[in-house]
Amino acid sequence: MQNQDGAVADREKESAVSIPISEVDDWANFADDDIMQQQSAIHAEEAKKIPFVGDKYLLCCNLTVLASYLLYAVTLFQGNSLSVVSLSNTNYPMPMKNGWTVFIIFAILITCGIEKFCYMELQEPLSMLAAEYESGSPILLEKIKVLDQQYAAIRRTRGDGNCFFRSFMFSYLEHILESQDRAEVDRIKGNVEECRKTLQSLGHTDFTFEDFFSLFLEQLECVLQGNEDSIRFSPFFSQDELILRSRDQSISDYVVMFFRFVTSGEIRKRSEFFEPFILGLTNATVEQFCKSSVEPMGEESDHVHITALSDALGVPIRVVYLDRSSCDIGGVSVNHHDFLPTSANKSNAKGGSTVPVKPFITLLYRPGHYDILYPK
Amino acid sequence: MTSSSAHSRKALSKIACNRLQKELVEWQVNPPAGFKHKVTDNLQRWIIEVNGAPGTIYANETYQLQVDFPEHYPMEAPQVIFIPPAPLHPHIYSNGHICLDILYDSWSPAMTVSSICISILSMLSSATVKQRPTDNDRYVKNCQNGRSPKETRWWFHDDKV
Repeated sequence: MQNQDGAVADREKESAVSIPISEVDDWANFADDDIMQQQSAIHAEEAKKIPFVGDKYLLCCNLTVLASYLLYAVTLFQGNSLSVVSLSNTNYPMPMKNGWTVFIIFAILITCGIEKFCYMELQEPLSMLAAEYESGSPILLEKIKVLDQQYAAIRRTRGDGNCFFRSFMFSYLEHILESQDRAEVDRIKGNVEECRKTLQSLGHTDFTFEDFFSLFLEQLECVLQGNEDSIRFSPFFSQDELILRSRDQSISDYVVMFFRFVTSGEIRKRSEFFEPFILGLTNATVEQFCKSSVEPMGEESDHVHITALSDALGVPIRVVYLDRSSCDIGGVSVNHHDFLPTSANKSNAKGGSTVPVKPFITLLYRPGHYDILYPK
Repeated sequence: MTSSSAHSRKALSKIACNRLQKELVEWQVNPPAGFKHKVTDNLQRWIIEVNGAPGTIYANETYQLQVDFPEHYPMEAPQVIFIPPAPLHPHIYSNGHICLDILYDSWSPAMTVSSICISILSMLSSATVKQRPTDNDRYVKNCQNGRSPKETRWWFHDDKV
């Protein structure tokens, strides 16, 4: 019990990964975390402006890449590699050490300006990722090349601790919008009803979760076109509309919270199953884990969350890992893991419909963050 | 801490308003033991009477909680303070601010006024000595401009009390 005296709420703390500068100025020790940090350094100025769900990047945005290169070259030349970082992550103005610092600030401002300007149609392929990692490990660059062969595009989500749930939301709704798979919608609605019962049996009063449930169900109706509801809500529901909704905090955050309820309910319902995994992460009880790491907004997701959400909703999820884990000799491969719903949850499938086995949701995991990937 | 912040606050959103009405109905049917909601016509500020639990060092003592709801409740945490005189407790400052994680960083939209009340009563009940936090004077002095406890960067390290 103590307050950090005089410290007014740090508004920046959610927006960017905090970066211990001293650990990053030696390129020899450059690790995964640093790579994420480098990325956040470039984007930190924009952090607050990054939408919950970004544009789908297909083509190379040369200007941004160019600016990134420029920044990188300048920082290298300066020797003090990440003064940019300290500037964008504190509220305090960085002392102007020399002309280069000023130049870097200027470069950031230009970059931001360009990004904003290109916002409507800004597009980038996976090679955009490569540009971000230009200064990083060759293994990562190799892995990005491999990814580039299998995946057509990436869609970024805001790194606010909700990125897994937000990516899942967008990816799932987009799949329904494109496939118009009514059977899948009926199936997931059955699972949602199960989740409702789970929460009730765990002692949640209906009013605590019903708003979140109905908002998700409403989104499902909207993406199914030709449906009476969707005509009433929005006659021309398009991907643009989905993006708008995903960026609207009053919708997006409620759907994220819906997933948090579902995840927490599933973990507590099958606490014997999840307990060993949770003990591996923290020494909290299942109940404490749900209260502190699942239910509050902004708490990051781990394997436990993904497993629980996938099982509860019966939706398989593929996670592709872009990290520096060692590779087989003679060829670089990118690891992925498919989270397949357990058979226990298939029992409520009506009319012989089965849970699809091949994941239609693919997420890219980089240490601390999830984005959406689009297979070719 | 009281009136000035209330006037500048934004009105409840429609969804928050509906939610609070449902919470109020639930409270009336099933109030948490040891608490009494003082009826007012203000949905956005609840005044709740707290009775120290029997058998604890606050037995037979009554305090008042003031709960202010933000525009986007329950996505945002309500502001919960004791109306002075606040109970003497190692986590409660003399200006009524409460150091309890669920009111700040660990708030979840899955919580309710009722669950907050139960946490606060449990915090009171597990105390063994009546004393103020060690940094009480300094903290209270820093809050003189009417700063909300939600603007404080809290540091939670004691899970025993």
